[in-house]
Amino acid sequence: MKVYALIVACLALGVLAEEDSCYQNVDQGCRRTLSLPHCSAYYGQFKDNHVVANELKALASLYLKRSYHYLLSASYFNNYQTNREGFAKLFRKLSDDSWEKTIGLIKHVTKRGGKMDFSSHTTLKGDKGSNYTVEVGHEIGALAKALDTQKQLAERIFFIHREVTKNSDLLHDAEITQYIEEEFVSQQADTIRSLAGHTSDLKRFITENNGKDLSLAVYLFDEYLQKVV
Amino acid sequence: MRAVFFAVLGLVAALAPATATQCYVSPVTIRDEWLTMEQTCYNMMRKQIQEEVAASIQYLAMGAYFSIDTVNRPGFAKLFFDAATEEREHATKLIDYLLMRGKLTGSVTDLITYRAPANTSWESGASALEHALKLESDVTNSIREVIKTCESSFNDYHLVDYLSGEFLDEQYKGQRDLAGKASTLKKMMDKHAALGEFIFDKKLLGLNV
Repeated sequence: MKVYALIVACLALGVLAEEDSCYQNVDQGCRRTLSLPHCSAYYGQFKDNHVVANELKALASLYLKRSYHYLLSASYFNNYQTNREGFAKLFRKLSDDSWEKTIGLIKHVTKRGGKMDFSSHTTLKGDKGSNYTVEVGHEIGALAKALDTQKQLAERIFFIHREVTKNSDLLHDAEITQYIEEEFVSQQADTIRSLAGHTSDLKRFITENNGKDLSLAVYLFDEYLQKVV
Repeated sequence: MRAVFFAVLGLVAALAPATATQCYVSPVTIRDEWLTMEQTCYNMMRKQIQEEVAASIQYLAMGAYFSIDTVNRPGFAKLFFDAATEEREHATKLIDYLLMRGKLTGSVTDLITYRAPANTSWESGASALEHALKLESDVTNSIREVIKTCESSFNDYHLVDYLSGEFLDEQYKGQRDLAGKASTLKKMMDKHAALGEFIFDKKLLGLNV
């Protein structure tokens, strides 16, 4: 029993010393030169050079690029020839959302003691990179691009979630998990579901009635998008 | 000239079935004498859009830097994140203008190229404010160049008026604001640098300490 108590006491002291390393920096530094390497915002196993920090930065960069890609798509649908205000609105919303996510992610990286790096690349295998084409020509193709790029973002988000929960024995980070779940996961599912639904509708307009409905159907669908986006 | 136009139109019509699939709504042709924007002026506008985007990304990097825990200047971070969003809005406004004038029916993908920000750290809040002032004067100068080009060969009165009235107006007011902030901050930092920057940062957040 005494041995047990001793072990507990030692453990408690060990934890205390670990938690107190900022104070130790201060205590020693105040007598000589004040340098505070242990007074950063890091806690848990989160480190700026860790895979999770890198993925968060790469995700911020991807959202930034996508935000401008979607803005270009919105513009393309607003030219006088395509003239699809609803599709333009849909892409404009994707662009605005991506821009907000970019700033949110940058803030979150720094909240956890990291430094934003705009040239971070994902280590997720099979990731398609950030290429994009605006001039697809038909509406369903543009929706397909939107869907593919949103799924890519979702994959990246799941990857980060795996890394902070199951994948690594070293890093279980409840805070990043909560942030990813609250800010990204369900919204991403909604966006993907509605884009998939739109492509199903457009597909029917193309295939049914020998495609004779298409010109008028896309017009009506665009009017519909103006109301629901 | 008209013959050439119809010949080209015929060629496009002949080629169309080869590229068209069942997913295309049949294309239509619209008369185009209303498309009066001159090519060099249009190219300058495209470059200007890219420049506004680059500025937005540079401001994001400033916001990111001042958010770092060891830098800890949330007021500066907010100022620069807001500036980034504003630059993005400028790019959008210029794009909307081109759309209004019947442009951007093709070559849209290469209108904006992503480039990582050139600078990612600053010596102090004051040096970042001065960097921002430099960015803004560069933007102002390039808007002036667009104006010069667009009023030279074919005087594009409306665009020139829009750029002078809306954009230059905002640029000059923005520059004055940054210059005033930089000057106040530098004076506050004269004898008490650390305290001066701390107080100024909170002021930027709207707090009075």
